[in-house]
Amino acid sequence: MATVTYAQASRHYPGTERPAVDKLDLEIRDGEFLVLVGPSGCGKSTSLRMLAGLEDVDNGAIYINDKDVTNLPPKSRDIAMVFQNYALYPHMTVYENMAFALKLRKTPKSEIDVRVKKAAQMLQLEDYLNRKPKALSGGQRQRVAMGRAIVREPQVFLMDEPLSNLDAKLRVQTRSQIASLQSQLGITTVYVTHDQIEAMTMGHRVAVLLDGVLQQCDTPRALYDTPANVFVAGFIGSPAMNIKTVALTDEGAIFGQMILPLSRDQIAKARAEGGDGKVTVGFRPEECELVSATEGGMPIVVDLVEDLGSGANVYGHAAINGDSERFVVATDRRTMPNLGDTVFVKPRTDHHHAFHATTGVRI
Amino acid sequence: MRLLKNPFPQAFLVVWGLMTALPLLWVFISSFKDDNEILSDPWGLPGALRWENFGRAWTHGHIGQYFLNSLIVLSVSLTLTMLLGSTTAYALARYKFPGNRLIYFMFVGGMMFPVFLALVPLFAVVRNVGLLNTLPGLMMVYTAYSLPFTVFFLSAFFRTLPTAVAEAAMIDGCGPFSLFFRVMLPMAKPGLISVGIFNLLGQWNQYLLPVVLVSDKEENYVLAQGLAALAVNEGYRGDYSRLFAGLTLAIIPVLIVYAVFQRQVQSGLTAGQLK
Repeated sequence: MATVTYAQASRHYPGTERPAVDKLDLEIRDGEFLVLVGPSGCGKSTSLRMLAGLEDVDNGAIYINDKDVTNLPPKSRDIAMVFQNYALYPHMTVYENMAFALKLRKTPKSEIDVRVKKAAQMLQLEDYLNRKPKALSGGQRQRVAMGRAIVREPQVFLMDEPLSNLDAKLRVQTRSQIASLQSQLGITTVYVTHDQIEAMTMGHRVAVLLDGVLQQCDTPRALYDTPANVFVAGFIGSPAMNIKTVALTDEGAIFGQMILPLSRDQIAKARAEGGDGKVTVGFRPEECELVSATEGGMPIVVDLVEDLGSGANVYGHAAINGDSERFVVATDRRTMPNLGDTVFVKPRTDHHHAFHATTGVRI
Repeated sequence: MRLLKNPFPQAFLVVWGLMTALPLLWVFISSFKDDNEILSDPWGLPGALRWENFGRAWTHGHIGQYFLNSLIVLSVSLTLTMLLGSTTAYALARYKFPGNRLIYFMFVGGMMFPVFLALVPLFAVVRNVGLLNTLPGLMMVYTAYSLPFTVFFLSAFFRTLPTAVAEAAMIDGCGPFSLFFRVMLPMAKPGLISVGIFNLLGQWNQYLLPVVLVSDKEENYVLAQGLAALAVNEGYRGDYSRLFAGLTLAIIPVLIVYAVFQRQVQSGLTAGQLK
């Protein structure tokens, strides 16, 4: 039962130009499931390891509840962590792996037994308690790593891409298990992943990082509906949003013959700060339709069609201001075009996003 | 079937095996003969199993005393070697501190330093601290002598162990000492066993160092030294059977160690290449 606060926390590796984590400000509420997401090298793992005490904090501070833990060793922070490769103790059985932390804390044997058995039952590990990690499958090892964290009943769970070594099917299954386990236990959790689908499905809130800088932290829905900048817009959602920088007129953004209307306020903002008569506009593949030639859509030539079973992704290109630009449209399988066809794409009204052409900030 | 296709490797191994095993077998057989049989019929089998040869070697040849000395020296020196070696190797492999590389290369350099060059100063140093002709002196020198290889080997081994496990242990509540003794050391067990056996055999068979450092006091001789003395004395006196019995007694413990730990010695030699 704890809150976690990053206050201007920075980590700068010696000999590198920019900090791995740059003045991170983040407040995680009691019982919240917060996901840190971003491309590789964005500082998400470093942020987590700073909270764990495995990485130094060069500037700023980190608090668990109101206690400053910035300079405490990992063992004094009352946290438990699940590692990407599980980091089980190879010389101990599953039972000993889970009991180890409690043993170090001199918990009475009977209580250790109760807690380990309970966690094992929760994770369906009862039959494997006497096995060594070597004799377990990947999914079972992952559960042991979870169990090792659960028996601790810590203030905060830290998870560093715990699903990335599982196969796709098991990953989806375990994803929901972890989420329901977390809500059952109500323990504050910080979860790192590079997979935006994991982030969107598991997190109460999601923090998106890029190059060590926090881009946006909000609920999955808010990230999807109102991305704060071009990066978040492109990162969240699959397939990625169609984002193009195009010419700006008094009515809106010009996509060939199609004009995406912008409000006067947006146009004014787009023109400020060296917008240079341009604006960056994005619309999601699933928020546009294929229409007939007469309905004012933008013509694109189909390059590739991905049939997903439940729907289809249509990839095509269009000439805009002399450049060939790629677009993706998620469509119904019934209206799936053929390769080389020309189709007309039209974003749904008011479902497009506008960003400043140079700063990338949402307008 | 494959033997027929290319008999050369097998034939080579058979020849090599015989070359290694036959002299040993000859020593064992000769240890049951009396002197007359050894001299007149060196290849023949003993007329009777003369266990009294061993008794004579054990008591009159002082093999028992030498055996005990070797055991005492090794029980301390081997323990010290493994304890100091593993802790040093661990610190060098897992912690960054100024001078880390320097210390490491000094150990590696120590491995390349021929012990013959150090004999005279070593003798002087041991005499100055008053440990000449004593078992504790030998223990300390053995330990120092074995450390470079032990540190070199084990630090390579510790480096291959996954860091995430150490981090998990720290989060689980380990301090530096419990981390080392309860997590890292057990994980390094294959490496510890193989380097331990290597040191055991090396120190057990050590001859040069005791000859230099324990030369004046016969009751402090270790086994290898005792056997040499036996060989010289018996050679003059003509008690060959006692000599062979003594040799057999010295060989057997080493053979047993090899037989028991054969698998670990092999796996230790190849450890660190995989995973």
